[in-house]
Amino acid sequence: MGDLDGRVACITGGTRGIGRATAEAFLREGAQVVINGRSAEKGQQALDEMNGGDNVHFIAGDIKKREDCEALIQGTVDKYGKIDILFANAGGASDHAPVAALTDEAMQDSLTWNFWHTFWTMRAALNHMIPQESGRIICNSSVEGKMGKPGLSIYVVAKHAINGLVKSAAQEVGTLGITVNAVCPGAIETDVMKAEGPGAAESMGITYEELLNMFTEESAIKRLNEVEDVAEVNVLLASEAGAGITGSLISIDGGTSPY
Amino acid sequence: MAEAFIAEGAKVVVNGRGEEKGQQCLAEMNAGDNAAFYAGDATSQSDTEGLVDFAVERYGQLDIMCLNSGGVKNTAPVFQMTDEEWLLEVDWNLNHVFWGMRKALQHMIPRETGRILVTSSVEGKLGKPGIPGYTATKHAVNGLVKAAAHEVGTLGITVNAILPGLIETDIVRETGPESAIAMGLGTYENLIEAFSGGSAIKRPNKVEEVAAVAVLLASKAGRNITGSMFPVDGGTSPY
Repeated sequence: MGDLDGRVACITGGTRGIGRATAEAFLREGAQVVINGRSAEKGQQALDEMNGGDNVHFIAGDIKKREDCEALIQGTVDKYGKIDILFANAGGASDHAPVAALTDEAMQDSLTWNFWHTFWTMRAALNHMIPQESGRIICNSSVEGKMGKPGLSIYVVAKHAINGLVKSAAQEVGTLGITVNAVCPGAIETDVMKAEGPGAAESMGITYEELLNMFTEESAIKRLNEVEDVAEVNVLLASEAGAGITGSLISIDGGTSPY
Repeated sequence: MAEAFIAEGAKVVVNGRGEEKGQQCLAEMNAGDNAAFYAGDATSQSDTEGLVDFAVERYGQLDIMCLNSGGVKNTAPVFQMTDEEWLLEVDWNLNHVFWGMRKALQHMIPRETGRILVTSSVEGKLGKPGIPGYTATKHAVNGLVKAAAHEVGTLGITVNAILPGLIETDIVRETGPESAIAMGLGTYENLIEAFSGGSAIKRPNKVEEVAAVAVLLASKAGRNITGSMFPVDGGTSPY
């Protein structure tokens, strides 16, 4: 008996990192899970590694495109007959710069990657969840959804926006058996962090190692978070036990955020 | 929380003032040697410290300390608040947590492992008229949690606060009618409605919802969550 027996989950991203760890935790708890990514090859590799048989399915799509976001939700319903859980997980930011030097393109790309993708998938998922009067939406925000860092405004702005969306949506569907929450992890050295961290550090005038040290030094645990930290909170929020938690911004940051 | 911890394999000491209620609780939980009761008043420093010592003596170690007890007795708006009630609430909601946390940390720090869970409240973030002592002391324990979390963060010890919305516990049923009057709401039913109305789910929370969060924070999965103010309030608090 798992905490998510009979539930169907959709995770944007999900071939690696926090999404992958969450997919594995959801599978362990008995859910059927759709993961997503741009590359069919990476998707197949993830499916092979997860070894979840027919309980896990990959849908290729670029979450920076609205039609791909909507197709992902519809594809989940087509594959497993419904959608109970959405983890809007994908995110990141490229071409960081201090505000005075920031390009429109960098801001737009971060908003699309983080915020618009969350909105598009949330809206599509709610259109399935509202009629069934049950659902769980979890958005992958960040400690930067609560705090600010110089040089990282594109990410900070997009994650703050997600937190606002979560609060409003939670109030809209609170009596319909649907919860909407954000998880706010501290820095985790995922593949996206390894790819984008050096650029972010450069925007802050420091090295990648100094960037990681800055994050860990601000925490109480003086180390980075891990993908499993987020995955287990996601299981709780997605399960029956999470029915009374909504509109919340859960800190999983080793004591970094003061609220 | 006790039942959820026992279900997950922990040995648990529960506490309360009444020996009779304690024995009844043990009988209902039916956990044999895996549960024990310590009679003591949470508003007493010696009883709170005695509880920690009892747990260590009984089971040889202390891994998880839930500082859960709290409430109000005859609350009133600030201008009518008695010193007696104010001091009771400070002892019950704040000093109790400090005494228990300090003593528990003295056992946990040498072992470099531990989990401290403080039952705060949505009133640890927000304020409602008529319960100033509760609001102030719950805000205070949140500060204590944040400070302590940073003190022991590298020692494998986490310190977190759980912030439930209103739950119809026995203590709320007992003291709710008077609190409703202090808050200018008249009846107990209006009190429940006032709290639920501020949530997104428009219902009180449930003890099981808090217990599930407590298990997560106390487990290995919670090792990297500390200093956090974990809401279980159905969308009441905006942050």
